[in-house]
Amino acid sequence: MTTTEVRALTYAQAVNETFHQEFERDPNVILMGEDVAGGAGRDDFEDAWGGVFKLTRGLIGKFGPERVRDTPISENGFIGAAVGSAAAGLRPIADLMFVGFVGVCGDQIFNNMAKMHYMFGGKVKLPLTIITSTGAGVGSAAQHSETLYSIFVHFPGLKCVAPSNPYNAKGLHAAAIRDDDPVIVFNNKLLMGGVGTGPHVPEEPYEVEIGKAHIAREGTDVTLIGISYTTHLCLQAAEILAQQGYSAEVVDLLSLSPLDEETIIESVKKTRKVVIVDEDYPRCSMASELSAVIAEQAFDYLDAPPRRVNPPHTSVPYSPVLEELFIPTPERIVEEALATME
Amino acid sequence: MREDPNVIVMGEDVAGAAGRADQGFIDHAGGTFGMTKNLIQEFGPGRILDTPISETGFMGAGVGAAAAGLRPVVDLMFVGFVGVCADQIFNNMAKMHYMFGGKVKLPITVMAQTGAGDGGYAAQHSETIWSIFTHFPGLKCVVPSDPYTAKGLQIAAMRDDDPVIIFQGIRSMGANYDDQHVPQDDYEIEIGKARIVRAGTDVTLTGIGFSTRTCLQAAETLARQGYSAEVVDLLSLSPLDEETIFESVKKTRKIVITDEDYPRCSVASDVSALVVEQAFDYLDAPPRRVSAPHASVPYSPALEKFHPPRAEDVVAAALAVLE
Repeated sequence: MTTTEVRALTYAQAVNETFHQEFERDPNVILMGEDVAGGAGRDDFEDAWGGVFKLTRGLIGKFGPERVRDTPISENGFIGAAVGSAAAGLRPIADLMFVGFVGVCGDQIFNNMAKMHYMFGGKVKLPLTIITSTGAGVGSAAQHSETLYSIFVHFPGLKCVAPSNPYNAKGLHAAAIRDDDPVIVFNNKLLMGGVGTGPHVPEEPYEVEIGKAHIAREGTDVTLIGISYTTHLCLQAAEILAQQGYSAEVVDLLSLSPLDEETIIESVKKTRKVVIVDEDYPRCSMASELSAVIAEQAFDYLDAPPRRVNPPHTSVPYSPVLEELFIPTPERIVEEALATME
Repeated sequence: MREDPNVIVMGEDVAGAAGRADQGFIDHAGGTFGMTKNLIQEFGPGRILDTPISETGFMGAGVGAAAAGLRPVVDLMFVGFVGVCADQIFNNMAKMHYMFGGKVKLPITVMAQTGAGDGGYAAQHSETIWSIFTHFPGLKCVVPSDPYTAKGLQIAAMRDDDPVIIFQGIRSMGANYDDQHVPQDDYEIEIGKARIVRAGTDVTLTGIGFSTRTCLQAAETLARQGYSAEVVDLLSLSPLDEETIFESVKKTRKIVITDEDYPRCSVASDVSALVVEQAFDYLDAPPRRVSAPHASVPYSPALEKFHPPRAEDVVAAALAVLE
């Protein structure tokens, strides 16, 4: 492969590659979750799944059932086991399939994972990664289509990252696995389904730093902030705005906790206007948090109030017609951006 | 409970010493904070249900009982216990009315105790975390700030046909409100309305639960320095009374938002974002948030008292926007 050739992987392939590489790099890395291999205990069905989104495919064949553990359908059990094994020195990855399943392991995540390092006076480290899938748009109805970043970000003691394409998905998963603190990685279903495939993904392992946002497109007239899938919506909106003569800068948040306030504030100071696009429910959301941080730290630079683009304050509809209206669209982003520039 | 035979109460030790009446242990606890005391004598164990220590179980039973036509009041005890019944609350309670196309009503009230700063309950029993409930569509969330609002909101919650979470500040339950009149008759305080507890013209201070008391103390200090602070007691987090907040901010043109909860994605952040979006041109200064630090609640009493907002923190933030 020449250096100019683009090595395009899908999001799922990129994450899968990083898992293989991290398993090779560190024998303490293990994986737990429902159907992360598939066909638990039945040799003829081994690796029948490789995870619901195929992120963990091929791992059991190479690393065996000791390190790749198909678990019973008990998030309370295997997330708890992951916390315990991390405290005991392993570096587990636990797959929480859909983020809404946090309901059945909230105690393990909010009360144990987030607090153990603090409560034991720093003597316990929890080098644990949770991967979880988020987002609407695939007809999974109210309980399997949530985003819910904000409730994890709310808790001190958890790092939260949301990749937006195969390149940063690979690098953020590597960084999460190597991090000595608990990290939650939110993987959007539409991205895992192929949206955003395209950027060059180096074959060698690399990390994308947790705590840093990325300028996905430079501009001067208005800042659009995206999180995960909504970064693509922002990029589409920026194209439409460009056709109308406006130069939009797109900030891809990538890390929700810690938050890269500096990159955000720098961009807003330049453009003096901001639209925040978040697929999560609006109340007490990341969008609210960003708006509050920007108002506090860059008030005198703002030519217009920060605008938030969220879904409505309602559960995710099962009806495809309504579901389409739930997720933010490039058109809505353009509309809000134009409102700040009037 | 006298008014409506469908009202039942469930939770750990809501009576106390379940099943040991023969040994004289009936109503031994009356709830951890004595809120359900004496109910079992009048209404009996058929309506006052001491449950096993399984929030998953009794919260689920509460949801089911509500769907089947009862009007349960469920005591979660400390709000941090949501971790073991979050599926019942976030996935069932919040969504059933929606998922069944409005055909199911859930007239359930959940009581949860919140807050640090009084007693050394440490990281897992001192949280506030009302923001994560407010985040979910389908849940109403209210926070009384004194005995008068506690009675009125509790009644409103129990009569409401939707799920209502009522957050009771541990410090509010311990504070002295001797000067306050609480009518013996039943009365409701409307869910979704904030109230102005002190009128002022120079700066708006918003309080939630116990932090309303903190704001009132700060307002006194500010008055001595020649500033007139208006104190808005939010009372209802979801739905939020945006109108009362905006009206106050349009008058004072400055706002300090207090919240005992962790700062990220908090109600304070939400109020700030709303005020900036809808009252930007009226603001003379950026909204300031006074929240707890982004850290778990310390067990050390010396550190714990610095975790929730203090009156001096509110005064400092107010002076910063007044300058």
